[in-house]
Amino acid sequence: MTPEISGFSFPNDVHVWWSLMIVMYPYITGFVAGAFIVTSLYHLFGRTEFKPVARLAMATSFAFLLVASLPLQLHLGHPERGINVMITPHFTSAMAGFGILYSGYLAILVLEVWFVWRHEIILRARRTRGVKRAFYATLALGTYDTGPRALEVDHRAITLLAGIGLPGACMLHGYVGFIFGAIKANPWWSTPLMPVIFLMSAAVSGIALLMVLYQVVSKLRARAPDQPCVSALARWLWFFLILTITLELLEIIVMAYERSESWLIISELLTTRLQFSYVTMQMIVGGLIPLILLAVVVLMNRYLHERVRNTLSTVAAFLCLLQVFSMRWNIVVGGQLMSKSLRGLRSHYDPEVFGREGILMAITLFAAPFVILWVFDRVLGIEEPEAAAAAAPPARGEATEEGSIHAA
Amino acid sequence: MEHARHVFRVALVLGAVVAAVMVTRGFLVPKSYGMYGPYRYDNVVEQMNVRLPLHRGAAACGECHDDQAKKRAAGGHKNVSCEICHGPLGLHVKDDGSVEAPPVDRSYLLCARCHRKIDGRPARFPQVVLEQHVSGPLEGHACLGCHDPHSPKP
Amino acid sequence: MAPTSTTSLPVLQPEPATPTPPEYGRRQFLADVMRLSGGALVFIAGGTVADALAAVAGKPRGEAYSWDEHLYAYLIDTSKCIGCGSCVRACAAENKVPDGFYRTWIERYVIGMEQTHVDSPNGGKDGFGPVQVGFTATKSFFVPKMCNHCRATPCVQVCPVGASYRTKDGVVMVDTERCIGCAYCVQACPFGSRFISPVTHTAEKCTWCYHRVTKGLKPACVEVCPTGTRQFGDLKREDDPVRLAIARDRVEVLQGHLLTEPQCYYLHLDKEVR
Repeated sequence: MTPEISGFSFPNDVHVWWSLMIVMYPYITGFVAGAFIVTSLYHLFGRTEFKPVARLAMATSFAFLLVASLPLQLHLGHPERGINVMITPHFTSAMAGFGILYSGYLAILVLEVWFVWRHEIILRARRTRGVKRAFYATLALGTYDTGPRALEVDHRAITLLAGIGLPGACMLHGYVGFIFGAIKANPWWSTPLMPVIFLMSAAVSGIALLMVLYQVVSKLRARAPDQPCVSALARWLWFFLILTITLELLEIIVMAYERSESWLIISELLTTRLQFSYVTMQMIVGGLIPLILLAVVVLMNRYLHERVRNTLSTVAAFLCLLQVFSMRWNIVVGGQLMSKSLRGLRSHYDPEVFGREGILMAITLFAAPFVILWVFDRVLGIEEPEAAAAAAPPARGEATEEGSIHAA
Repeated sequence: MEHARHVFRVALVLGAVVAAVMVTRGFLVPKSYGMYGPYRYDNVVEQMNVRLPLHRGAAACGECHDDQAKKRAAGGHKNVSCEICHGPLGLHVKDDGSVEAPPVDRSYLLCARCHRKIDGRPARFPQVVLEQHVSGPLEGHACLGCHDPHSPKP
Repeated sequence: MAPTSTTSLPVLQPEPATPTPPEYGRRQFLADVMRLSGGALVFIAGGTVADALAAVAGKPRGEAYSWDEHLYAYLIDTSKCIGCGSCVRACAAENKVPDGFYRTWIERYVIGMEQTHVDSPNGGKDGFGPVQVGFTATKSFFVPKMCNHCRATPCVQVCPVGASYRTKDGVVMVDTERCIGCAYCVQACPFGSRFISPVTHTAEKCTWCYHRVTKGLKPACVEVCPTGTRQFGDLKREDDPVRLAIARDRVEVLQGHLLTEPQCYYLHLDKEVR
């Protein structure tokens, strides 16, 4: 279906330059930041209810980080010149910060993964032979100290890295919000709230992803998910979702109240071109319904059966994942359906199916981190060895009792 | 510190990576980058020479086409550049001096682009409702029947 | 082949106060062509920038074009524009602008007491036809537009690799060798002047025909404009007509509230024009 322009758009303003790949990029870095927030809740703030997912969260953040630069490379007119951002960065541009922020955060996360998994690396180095042994030995950098003093050093390093990493992760995603928020040419993007909205919804996406992943991984290991952890995840998800929806609504409400030049075309955009993705998906299906579901999970926690808690939380988390994707779509694509003439709207944007900026590529990019997680588990093992041994399937009644005592 | 040996190792590896990146970057920054600002100054000269000017102005046409130039200068089209109707001089006289006949649209459509009466044109500009202006059908070389484009009467 | 002329070229003399076309012969034209090619060749063969500039100027080194001596500005009188589209066609021919994209374009405004209709069919390249609006129009006019070469431009600010820049003589350009095609500048331009070329996959826009103005010519659009709507000037010349108009007449710029300090000044704009 060829797109049509209603009203008047500037002749060069009829294209959607920032494609599905630019929707995927903040989606993926949102997971990086959000998953890191979850792991920091344990490693930095010592909230022990998150211990069951702490390592999974760190591995998830890492897996998504490895993929994060790909949507940008695929989008560029000259991907082979992408490295120019590191060679001649022009620092008045928020986008130039990408090189520093990405490599800086990558260094921090690699280091933190190394410190957290160092013990396993050494154990595996000792257990294996041949090529595998050489591989683990290299990873261990030739030191084999696993005594309590060394582990204490590791622990302090992890806390320090988490302390630097948390603002790093927030900046890695916050600067994306700044990229949009600081464009005065586009009134749908230009707001000081944008970096904050992006960050809050990144937290939502990360926690929601961990919730779903934790349920899936528990099923795969035939082990019941730890209920205090599930209710803690639900609580924090609810909290960040409330913040996100409030900020997103606040932006609209203030715009409508101030009724400045751009409000007429933006309200038309939201109620016609973006009616499904904004009103239906972002606000109702992805906003209102998870708010209610999570309210039930959090406020009625002590009365809930384990199955109900798991199901409601997972459904709510899945809907939150849809919410965050819709929000990215509505901002990136929505902002480009509108012309800077403030008089014209493009009918729609259909991403290509094949092609380097297409739907299949987006699906691949989303699936790739899970493949990386699987490889990570094979190479390093996500679960702690003691946890795996201790949590060999307990009696059904025992688990429920334990769960409800903790949840009370 | 004995138990922190692995920390020093990893710091060393990290330091080596950063150093390698910085050194490589040094080789890759273009020489004229930063001379006058955060851009490659060589490009300014490249832009000055990006192509030869294609349009040359009406006076250049007059060197070979003196008659038409004089006629035009005395009539209502004295400010209408030859290159509007006949295309840029650079396509007519090539670099090596060879000459190729420029295309010229003799149909009424060319004249209509300026002189058809439409909303937006200043009232004092000569424009007509073409269908009422010609006595016969509006087609083909309708305008040329009465008007010489080089001196189109007032 | 005509020998390289030793007389100083009219092309490089300062612009006369009244806009009369310079005396220009075929011999002169061909000589020019040879010299310009020579300059390019010197540069390509590895000569320094100064050598290339000197070769182009036909003057001994040290007297080449100096960007410190100029500061360009553009004046558009919308009350004179007839919407013929000659400027759009000339620009497309001069700069090989890809089809469907526009380095300059013309918008038509048809305005009534309560409603406004704006259109720009193919950027105005083929002129305009009659238009039916569903209301009583009380005024109508054309507005030519292009890159405004702003002094505080957001497009240069957001370029992540320093491919977009502003020269000392006030022209904003894109280094197509360094541009990575991220389209951030396209998003940042409030006027819709930029696009990503489907040919080079880099950002492209009006350059005020830098390859012409640095040789004393006018941009192609100004060269062909039959009504004097478009004028190009140098703010560093005391008697420049554009400078005088900006100094004395009531001029406007597009989207002035955004404070990008555009250098395209308009006469007789209307509140409906963004």
